[in-house]
Amino acid sequence: MTMYAPGSVTELQAVVRESERIHIVGNGSKTALHCAVNGAAIADLSGMSGIIEYQPSEYTVTARAGTPVRELNEALRQKSQYLPFDPLLPEQATIGGTVASNLSGSRRFRYGGVRDFILGAEVVDGEGRTFRVGGKVVKNSAGFDLSKFLVGSLGKYAIMTELTFKVFPDVPRFRCLGFLFEALEDALSAIYFINQSAYELDALDLAPARSVPPINRGKKDGNWKLLARLAGFDDTLPQRVERFSAAMTGDTATIQVEEIKDSAALWNPLADLSGEFLVKVVIPPKQLPAFDVLIAHDHRRYSVGGNIAFAATDDIAQLDAALDASGLTGLCLRGAVDSAVIGVPIDNALAERVKQVLDPQRKLV
Amino acid sequence: MNRAVIEALELIYPSDRLLTRDVELLPYESDALTAFSAVPGAVVLPINEEEIIDTVRLCHQMALPFVARGSGTSLSGGSLPIPEGLTIGLNRLNRIKKLDPEQRIAVVEPGVINLHITEAAQPYGLYYAPDPSSQSICTIGGNIAFNSGGAHCLKYGMTSNHVLGLKVVLADGTVTTFGGESVDGVGIGPDLVGLFVGSEGLFGIALEITVRLMPQPELYRTVLAAYNDLGAAGDAVSMVVASGLLPGAMEIMDRLAIKAAEASVQAGYPDAEALLIVELEGEALQVGAEFDQLLDTIEESGAFEVRVAQNEAERTRIWKGRKGAFSAVGRLSPDYIVQDGVVPRSRLGEALVQINELKEKHQLDVANVFHAGDGNLHPLILYDGREAGALEKAEALAGEILALCINLGGSITGEHGIGMEKRDYLPAMFSEEEIDIMQALRRAIDPNEIANRGKMFPGGEAPALSQHGMHPLERAGLISRE
Ligand SMILES: Cc1cc2nc3c(=O)[nH]c(=O)nc-3n(C[C@H](O)[C@H](O)[C@H](O)COP(=O)(O)OP(=O)(O)OC[C@H]3O[C@@H](n4cnc5c(N)ncnc54)[C@H](O)[C@@H]3O)c2cc1C
Repeated sequence: MTMYAPGSVTELQAVVRESERIHIVGNGSKTALHCAVNGAAIADLSGMSGIIEYQPSEYTVTARAGTPVRELNEALRQKSQYLPFDPLLPEQATIGGTVASNLSGSRRFRYGGVRDFILGAEVVDGEGRTFRVGGKVVKNSAGFDLSKFLVGSLGKYAIMTELTFKVFPDVPRFRCLGFLFEALEDALSAIYFINQSAYELDALDLAPARSVPPINRGKKDGNWKLLARLAGFDDTLPQRVERFSAAMTGDTATIQVEEIKDSAALWNPLADLSGEFLVKVVIPPKQLPAFDVLIAHDHRRYSVGGNIAFAATDDIAQLDAALDASGLTGLCLRGAVDSAVIGVPIDNALAERVKQVLDPQRKLV
Repeated sequence: MNRAVIEALELIYPSDRLLTRDVELLPYESDALTAFSAVPGAVVLPINEEEIIDTVRLCHQMALPFVARGSGTSLSGGSLPIPEGLTIGLNRLNRIKKLDPEQRIAVVEPGVINLHITEAAQPYGLYYAPDPSSQSICTIGGNIAFNSGGAHCLKYGMTSNHVLGLKVVLADGTVTTFGGESVDGVGIGPDLVGLFVGSEGLFGIALEITVRLMPQPELYRTVLAAYNDLGAAGDAVSMVVASGLLPGAMEIMDRLAIKAAEASVQAGYPDAEALLIVELEGEALQVGAEFDQLLDTIEESGAFEVRVAQNEAERTRIWKGRKGAFSAVGRLSPDYIVQDGVVPRSRLGEALVQINELKEKHQLDVANVFHAGDGNLHPLILYDGREAGALEKAEALAGEILALCINLGGSITGEHGIGMEKRDYLPAMFSEEEIDIMQALRRAIDPNEIANRGKMFPGGEAPALSQHGMHPLERAGLISRE
């Protein structure tokens, strides 16, 4: 296997032109994405790293694709700003890998995902051409928006070399509450209650009570824990927490409430998901009860208000079957698989047309 | 239009939904960029998705150019008919097929009016966030084509950010769906919703749209600040941003726009060189705390008068003048062109100075209204189409404004799209190779280039320039722009 570590766009272009098939690695943090590339050359983009332009007053930041998310987060934190889509693997991933695999964390709940904060990109396509898509200002509707298309594109259409994002001011303080429910349906009803209320939560995740690390006090299997995080100013947070907590105990089937100390571990939805394979599933919350029955033996967390499921399992075939049966698609992040996409295939006529234009020789895998 | 085409269309449409006579075609000859008009070969009015699909397939087979039309409020000539082509009017597909307040989503047909979604969602404490000033008449299909925005898009984004799933018929007749009811949208695999939104009707027609709804903010706090100097209002925006606040809206109007708004809706605005509207929205306790901070900042920014809306009626009044500004300017002048350029927020002041210089140079009046929070300018260039050469002069000024936006590192359009109007400026923003790639993509989807032919890409024949006038529907008394 040929390995390349291009240090510049020009070098990357040369690599693409010379290779028959090529596969891109950011930092290799999502092992499953790099399994099925037998024979393809590998280009490691971690050498194309660094923040190019950060203008806090414009709410925009531009960085090379191989920039570690950690570095980007730290630069933003110094100016009290953040990437509101909340990159899922802040300690391991590169920003390019995060966009290519569309991996948002729990805080996606508040303002939106990668697609909502990407403004533009510079890419090298399968023909070795380099060009810009999207723009660098927070608002732009000129031309086809290929920058959004890149979100989730898994490096198969064009290789991102530079990315521009919209950023937001971050809030100074957090408080977290855990609500315990007898059954999944009760917890989902509570999510629906929140969805129609004016309480603005920073994050909202759901998990079997036993699997939530600091609070695994569920009395029995079947108990569910809803984790809610509020963000804001010191002087109003206590009152807001109280109000929210009272509404939840009054209007939902909460059987127990507790305040939990806020921590990075608490809001890492993958923290306690052990198993050979780890999979992201995009799911409407109303499909959760039927799906949950099928994966009841797996470690799982239903993040972003129950819209994104993360499941860990040792039996990937069984999970694949569960996805198929539910009409869902999964993206395998960890474990050795033939194809990172499992369940219902994602082939699409429109995506195929883009492939014909950007990578007609089908070099990018 | 040739007989064979009409006969083929007659197999799909009864005669009352297939318009071919001149008087029937007249209301469709322009959109809201009234300087241009063209007579379509025919107009069809489908009532369901099957008819749209059959029509697009027919167009593909016969290489017949078509343009989808919602309410025809495009300001860039996007829904301008293609001479001798087919206009597909989508207004009758106006059903909200599903409203699920628990998951905060709605599934709608393309001809649904933007504001109708909010009206349907209101009883559940929800609303549809993107709020173009035309929201009481424009359709979701049109919003998708242009990725339309509004005054309240700073925090939660434009149309693209609120569309989760789409069913579309591509220009070659292929029907495909992507995304769904999860807020993560497409989620796995390339974001096709993101690609389709903003494609200006060149990829095909959106048949069914899944949108996300948002909870209505518990509290709005709206402040109106008056300045003696336009630059100071621009600086105030930067100060608000620097203070770490994230308002729901930040809008500026200049003297001429204020005057127009006053004359038309009597909003009671102070006499000033510039007005800044800032609105905070969200959970009451949080907004309360933020509002104190906002008022301190506004105080420091040198405003000579600050008004705080004390109740919903006062808030509505503040917004009425802003939202009606376009039509108000229409009363000051027989004709106007609206521009839609974007500049980096920190360069707003510079942009305004330069626009002023250009307006002196061209001896034309320009009213400025803009989404200051995201640097999106809406200069309204006033002219009288009855004067020979006036339109050309206004267009020359418009072109120079676009050039200055690009020079300052911005974009030629924030939300109105390229359409017919700005197609010759696309090369100023994108390289030849970038345009080639976009064109190749267009042809990969639409080999005959029938979908909205003549828009977005430079070149091609321009439809007739009519000298001036109102929107045909306005002229017919069917719509007004309030
Ligand atoms: C007074 C006034 C104020 C306005 N304010 C704003 C504003 O604040 N913000 C803003 O962004 N815009 C604004 N606009 C512009 C305009 O209202 C928007 O562009 C709107 O989205 C157009 O919607 P429509 O239904 O009128 O579309 P049309 O004008 O009928 O069509 C617009 C484009 O959409 C395409 N199209 C229509 N339906 C479909 C479909 N189903 N699938 C694919 N393509 C389709 C058409 O082919 C055309 O290219 C304003 C216009 C006016 C007249």
